[in-house]
Amino acid sequence: MSGTLALTRTELRRLMRNRRYFIFTVALPVVLYLLLGRQFSGKVYGVSFGAFYMVDMAMLGAFSGALSGNAQRISQEKKDGWIRQLRLTSLPAYAYVVSKVIVSMATTVTSIVIVLLLGRFYGNVHLAAWQWLAVAATIWFSATIFAALAVAIGYRVAPDQVQPITFILYFGFAILGGIWYPLSGALKTIGQVTPTYQAVKIGTDIIEGASVSVGLAIGLVVWLGIFVALATVAVRSTAETV
Amino acid sequence: MSQYETGDDHRGRTATKVAEDYTAGYAAGYRGSLGGTPVVAFENVSKHYGRLRAVDGLSLDLRAGETVALLGPNGAGKSTSLDMLLALRKPTSGKIQMFGSDPYHAVKSGRVGAMLQSGGLMPEVTVRELVTLVTTLHPKPEPIDTTLKRAGITQFADQRVDRLSGGQTQRVRFALAICGKSELIVLDEPTAAMDVETRRLFWTSMKEEVAQGRTLLFATHYLEEADQAADRILVINRGRLLADGTPAEIKARAGAKRLSFRLDQVDEPFLLGLPGLVNLEVRRDVVQIQSSDSDATLYAVLDAGYRPHEIEVTSLGLEQAFLAITAEDDRANGHDSTNGHAAGETN
Repeated sequence: MSGTLALTRTELRRLMRNRRYFIFTVALPVVLYLLLGRQFSGKVYGVSFGAFYMVDMAMLGAFSGALSGNAQRISQEKKDGWIRQLRLTSLPAYAYVVSKVIVSMATTVTSIVIVLLLGRFYGNVHLAAWQWLAVAATIWFSATIFAALAVAIGYRVAPDQVQPITFILYFGFAILGGIWYPLSGALKTIGQVTPTYQAVKIGTDIIEGASVSVGLAIGLVVWLGIFVALATVAVRSTAETV
Repeated sequence: MSQYETGDDHRGRTATKVAEDYTAGYAAGYRGSLGGTPVVAFENVSKHYGRLRAVDGLSLDLRAGETVALLGPNGAGKSTSLDMLLALRKPTSGKIQMFGSDPYHAVKSGRVGAMLQSGGLMPEVTVRELVTLVTTLHPKPEPIDTTLKRAGITQFADQRVDRLSGGQTQRVRFALAICGKSELIVLDEPTAAMDVETRRLFWTSMKEEVAQGRTLLFATHYLEEADQAADRILVINRGRLLADGTPAEIKARAGAKRLSFRLDQVDEPFLLGLPGLVNLEVRRDVVQIQSSDSDATLYAVLDAGYRPHEIEVTSLGLEQAFLAITAEDDRANGHDSTNGHAAGETN
């Protein structure tokens, strides 16, 4: 375990030096929120636009950070042979993936906290302490689901093909999940099965004080199951080529 | 040591003799202190990729304190063999043991330090940070400054790993292989991408590692390197062990002497039937013979009543011996020797 932590610490140090990562995870949602967070009145998913958009942007930064950055790095490190080199150390086999997920969680929590602070002080969203925590935890958990997907892509796909694939997934989950524009009508029928929609809707339900649908929570768990299964198969089946 | 199948009687006898001599010399040198479990043991190990046999029934033993070169052309199965030894790949059949345990557990217990051709480095960190990380992961770590110094990387320890030259990168990889007190060091083509001077420095520091009682196994296709650094050479080609002996013994194998003389009346059919003959060239009255047993060849010439003059017997270098051994093997198996079996290379 101490080895995994040592690896995680070094990974975190690396990440602090990587500016591109922060553009997508932190800068993009912050800028969008500053531009649009106070521009609309009326309610979305039963809460004020400012509150909806806060949850929405927190999810955007968190899931894109967990997905694109990680997939790219894992794929590159597999190609370069760094994963291979690590297998020659006494680290247990799972340590590399675990440290990637921990690092991903550490960075998404940063971006989530920043966007929620923005919602509180710029978007005038007022919530009880437990609601802040519940919203943050929901998004944090939902972003971690995408870290598992990133592991699956990173192990399977060559570095030069990672970007187009994560780009398609990023836009797919953002548009279908109602991140760019709230879901309604026919799109909602399809979109409500996406983890991005489920996360945002659970968030707004918490803010609204409505009871959270069990279906949405089960949906997230199912997605986690699917992505973890994909990641496990990807890691196992590439064991000889890593 | 029954690795020398095929071929004529004579060659078979020479090969067996080399193996026996080796075993005898070995037992005399190491008896007592180092008996018991070999550091590494391959037992009839094969690795197949579909129809390709990258490694084909390989058996070998390494003893503590030896410096062994795994010598073979590209695609001979060197990297695949080392990958299996390091538990990165699983053999299709056969058994590998390291320190009496399976490779995976030997690696995880820190008894092996390895430098792979295909091993990468973590980018975006400094050399020192990387060495520190890998040292922390080792169950028996060496002090970090010692490792930096031994690998000759102290002067660029604060540079970023992704901004190093090819030779510098190799030295960092080497540092990762020696950052703990591992008993066995495995190096795959360690001096690739190094210039001559760096290569010399590398082997100097490597000898210091070995002097501490470590066992060293390195793969190379540089013959000079095997000759200078190793006290035992394993020649492999197309996944099989072709020869096993000291550099001198390997040179003695398969036509490792060149015999030349002048002969007034050249009788080619007679010359072609000479014992030990591997290759014959005749230019007017000058006869050049490549022989695996130059004494027997010469005696046969004299016994037949010939009186050649200007007799010269010279040793061939390891390179020619090596080429002769692998070419012979390729011929015996109906392969084009220039083909080099490249599909076996994994990277």
